[in-house]
Parts: sequence; C-alpha cells; structure tokens
Amino acid sequence: MIITIKKNADEKEVQQLIANLEKRGVKAVEIEGSDFNVFGLTGDTSIIDEKAVKAYPCVENVVRIAAKYKLANRMFHPEDTVLDINGVKIGGKEKIVVMGGPCAVEDKEMILRLAKEVKEAGGRMLRGGAYKPRTSPYAFQGMRTEGILAMVEAREKTGLPIVTELMGEAQIDEFEKYVDMIQIGARNMQNFELLKEVGKRTTKPILLKRGFSNTIDEWIMSAEYIMSSGNPNVIFCERGIRTFETETRNTLDLSVIPIIKEKTHLPIVIDPSHATGDWRLVEAASLAAVAAGADGLIIEVHDNPECAFSDGAQCLKPKKFKALIEKAREIANVVGRDI
Amino acid sequence: MIITFKKDVPEVEIEKVIKSIEEKGLTVHSSIGKDFQVYGIVGDTTILDEKVLRSNRFVEEVTRVSSPYKKASRMFHPEDTVVDVAGIKIGGKEPIVVIGGPCSVEGKEPLLDIAEAVKEAGGTMLRGGAYKPRTSPYAFQGMETEGVHCLVAARKQTGLPVVSELMDKDRLDEFIENVDLIQVGARNMQNFALLKALGKIDKPILLKRGLSNTMEEWLMAAEYIMAGGNQNVILCERGIRTFEKYTRNTLDLSVIPIIKKRSHLPIVIDPSHATGDWELVESMSLAAIAAGADGLIIEVHNTPECAWSDGAQSLKPEKFKQVIEKGRKIANVIGREM
Repeated sequence: MIITIKKNADEKEVQQLIANLEKRGVKAVEIEGSDFNVFGLTGDTSIIDEKAVKAYPCVENVVRIAAKYKLANRMFHPEDTVLDINGVKIGGKEKIVVMGGPCAVEDKEMILRLAKEVKEAGGRMLRGGAYKPRTSPYAFQGMRTEGILAMVEAREKTGLPIVTELMGEAQIDEFEKYVDMIQIGARNMQNFELLKEVGKRTTKPILLKRGFSNTIDEWIMSAEYIMSSGNPNVIFCERGIRTFETETRNTLDLSVIPIIKEKTHLPIVIDPSHATGDWRLVEAASLAAVAAGADGLIIEVHDNPECAFSDGAQCLKPKKFKALIEKAREIANVVGRDI
Repeated sequence: MIITFKKDVPEVEIEKVIKSIEEKGLTVHSSIGKDFQVYGIVGDTTILDEKVLRSNRFVEEVTRVSSPYKKASRMFHPEDTVVDVAGIKIGGKEPIVVIGGPCSVEGKEPLLDIAEAVKEAGGTMLRGGAYKPRTSPYAFQGMETEGVHCLVAARKQTGLPVVSELMDKDRLDEFIENVDLIQVGARNMQNFALLKALGKIDKPILLKRGLSNTMEEWLMAAEYIMAGGNQNVILCERGIRTFEKYTRNTLDLSVIPIIKKRSHLPIVIDPSHATGDWELVESMSLAAIAAGADGLIIEVHNTPECAWSDGAQSLKPEKFKQVIEKGRKIANVIGREM
C-alpha cells in the first residue's frame, strides 16, 4: 500500500498515522519527494482499510498494491485448481465442461426429456432452476423442492451431475443432500450472509455468478468469503454485466477469462445465454469463450423455447446445442483443450 | 412506427396527428384497444422524429419498429459487403484481415522496422497514427504530415496498405492522396461534419465505435457516411466504457453477430484498445475470430517499453506472429482463411 502525504502536513499527525499503522503489524518505509512524502507499507496490508487511512487530513492519496484476497489469489496458489463435481473434473487442463438444461424445471417429464437430450448432444452436466429469482413477484417462482427432486431423478436416469441455484440459507441442507454444484446467482453475489453459510455448511462446489454491476475485484472478494468460511471449491461464472447497450440483455465481458486466470487459480465458466439474452448470439459467444480459454460453458436448452416458462428467447433447441458443442470442440482443440 | 395515444383523448386531437403524418406520404392504420388507442405507421418512417411525436401531450408512447438506418441495413442489402482496401478485400467470406502497427508513427526508421515485422508475421495491412487524439493536450500529438509520409514510405517498401486516423476534415486531401483506409476514431464517431465530408469521397472508412455509443448510434454514424454516397464503411469495435476498471474498456464481442445480422458491413475488432493490456490481446483476438470477425487491428511495437503512446497494450512482433498463427487455426474451424 502506498500512502501519499500532503506537503507541509503536520509532522505530529503523520507520526500518529504511522504509529497506528505499525501497531497493526505492517512496516512503513518513507520515500521523501520534493512535492509529497510517500510511505510504502509492507506486510499484510489486507487488514488495513484504505478508506480509514484516507480519513487522516494529512493524507493526499492511498493506493493499494497487493490484492485483498488471499485464498483465491494465484500468488499464493500458483497451480490451477481442478474441482471434482461428482465425477466431472473442471479447471486446469481438464476437458471443457458444457452444462445444458432449461432455465427453470417446469415439470418432471420435461427435465427428464431434456436431460437425455443434453447428454446425447455431449453435455456433461444438467442445469435447471428450481428456485427462481424473477424480477417480478408475479412471474413463475420455480417448482422448489419438487423441482430439485425432478433433477435428482434426471441425474439417476442420465448420470449427469446437476447444478441449480440456491437463493436462501433455509435451503442449504436440501442442496447439500441433493445437488452436485450449488449456484449462487448474480443477484446474490454480495449476499454476504449466504456466502458465509455456503462456506461453512457445505463443501459442495459453488458456481459463483458475477453480479450485474460488480467489478472483477468485488467478484473475487465474494469467492474469498466462501473460501475463508471453509469451502475452497469455488467456480466463477461470467454472465454479462450491465452497460448502456440495450441490444443485448447484458454485455458479455470475455476479458474476465484471461484476467481471472492470471489473478486466481479457480476455474471460470461462461454463461452466453444470460449474457446475450438471444439464442441467435449464443453460438458465437460460446465459440469466442472457448477460444479465450474458458473452463466451461453453461447454456440454456429447451425443446420448446416458445413455450418456456422463463427465458425462452435465450434457449437453444437440443439440435442447435449439439451443433454448438461440435464446433466448440474444434476450437478447443486449437487452444490445446478438449470438450 | 407504433404510436400509442393516452386513454380518452379527444378524437380531434388524434386526427390532427394522423393528418400531419399522412401529409408526409405515410399510411396510418388504427387499432383501438380497451385502454389505449394504437396506430401503426407504414412507409419510410425515417423521416419522422419520434421525439417530436412524443412531445404531443396526448401521445403515450412512440415505438420505432424498423431501424432508422437504411443503407447500412441488411434488410435492404442482403449480401455481405466486401470492401476493397488497395487490393486487400475485407468482409463476406474473404480471408480475415490482420492490421498491425504502432499506436503512433514515431519516425521513418522505426516505422519501416515495424512494417517489415508486421509483414513478416503475416499481417496484411499497416496501422500507425500520425494525428493523435490524446486525452491530455500535453501528450505527444503525433508527427502529423511527416508521419503520413512515413506511412507512405513503409507502404512503398512492404506493399502493405496503410490505415491512419483522420481527426479533421481540413486534412482530407492529404488522406485521400496518401492513406488507403481512413480511420474515424472513437471520439469522432459522432463528429457529423467529419462523417458528412467522408461521405463525399470513395476511400474506405474504418469507423470506430464511440466509447459510450450503442450499436444503433454506431450504425447511424455509418449511415451518415453512406447517405453521402460512400458505401465503403468498415465498422471497428474497440471496447466500451463500463464500471469495470481492470481493463481500459470492456470489449463487447456480441457486436459481431449482431452487426452481421443488422448490417451487411464488415466488422473489425481492436483488442489492443479494448483491453489496454498486451497480455489480454491474444485471447481476445482468438475469441473475436471464433465469433466471426472480418478483421483484427492490433498494436505492434518493437520496444513497447519505449513507445510514445499505448506501450502497455502493444505486442512485440514475435507475439503478434503467434497470435496470427493461432488465429489462423481458429479461422479454419469456422470456415474462414486468414
């Protein structure tokens, strides 16, 4: 951390600041300049709040050099983390994992049918929402427990591990019992109580979606919440961010792939369906994600998108999903991966 | 265009609006709903301004159904446009064009070195800024005319067509004479006087997307050039401004399939300005090709540490070559050459 001190600052106040900082176990090294005096802090600066330092009148500016996250940080964990989701490995040089399935589980027959289609197309995990975070309270809210049990049956029939979204602490035990990978949705990325609970009460892999308007640093800090509470098994999922552009539902930020890989050791999955909101754009976005080095894709698949209970416009039909996987496999081979 | 009137509007007020629209040669169809009265307008609605219609206090909502651009629209021009830049074809099923070169021209010798390296690596065009739109008036502003002449010398030596940014229509003649592809930078995307001037010539134009412009505004800027008579427009995405500070801008690759759906014009991606970080350029280049880009424009410098501008986002020639080699393989997968 670099602290710039104003010129002609009160020497006593500066001494007080340095003493307070050093009390917390960091060391301050002074660099004297002509216009400003600068202190470099070394040691574990993650416990120092830069906003508190800025509160001193003598301080001109504070710049954090080291990242605040530790467990997610590649610096302290240079090897890629490979996670095992009920037998499906994700991350590192493992095969790219394609997850497919409907936005919402609509009934048992439907999820069984789609699970078979996803598997036949080459998908290796099944997605499906049982608890749905819908913008409108009047929209379909999901089949809840019944939906989870339908997914469990689909897993029994196809062998595909299942991923579904957890919205509240009350359901953690249910998810721990039945679900292979627990999704934390974009709207809950900074629901810190929920993050702490999934850190404490389960070691199931967590698929952590990026919030609509969250920076990469904030996203990694959310992963840090889960990891520091006891669950190291976190997978990032980019699903588009909010920008001024209205042509797409969100703006897919693919540069997160090389950045997350540089900053952290955790796997990263791309959700082209929510990012674009338009099935016509899903293939191009998926191929681009694979070319950029994604560890997985999570894609909405529906055999009758026109009648889907939610997100029909962004669902691929199984045939299109299969064609996408085949093309993506060739791209994966070029970047030294398989699907 | 759909006009929705408020509930219980006096008939005579609606008739006034309808009449004014019909006088412009358009046809109006009505459909009376329970809560609102809705009218559909058929014909060339580009001549109508929805803001003017909305200013009528009896109007609830005005929705444009067809796009406000015509010449740039694929609806009126179903085939892909292939633009010829001094012999290099771009767009349609043509090989993906890779444009490489420094952010700024820094002198004749350095430029000739980079041009040779770009060509050697497999680049098909040379970029280089002679007039530089820098945020700070104290930063290097470019070599201006001398820089343009350096580009001409580099073209003579390597055969690579050259692309450079025009900031002011006063320099138009110089660019017509010396430059093969005239770039309109992000900051000038809505400099309509400049766009109109470029509409009157027939040199190809590389139109960058503005920092905070929607795709529709971008296509409307292309429309300005095309409406003036110049159909040779190539669009270039270079990242948009978002809340994310990690990258210089946020590269919006979904523009590729969208522009191809909405328009017939070629689209080029600039991963250097989009990310601002050379370490991210390769993966974003490969992603752009996988998504169907018609070209890439990449900053290349022999000694990025010493570049006069944008060093952090410049690739060294050997890395540039690697990007092209990997990019070629991705291109082959999606049925393109490079």
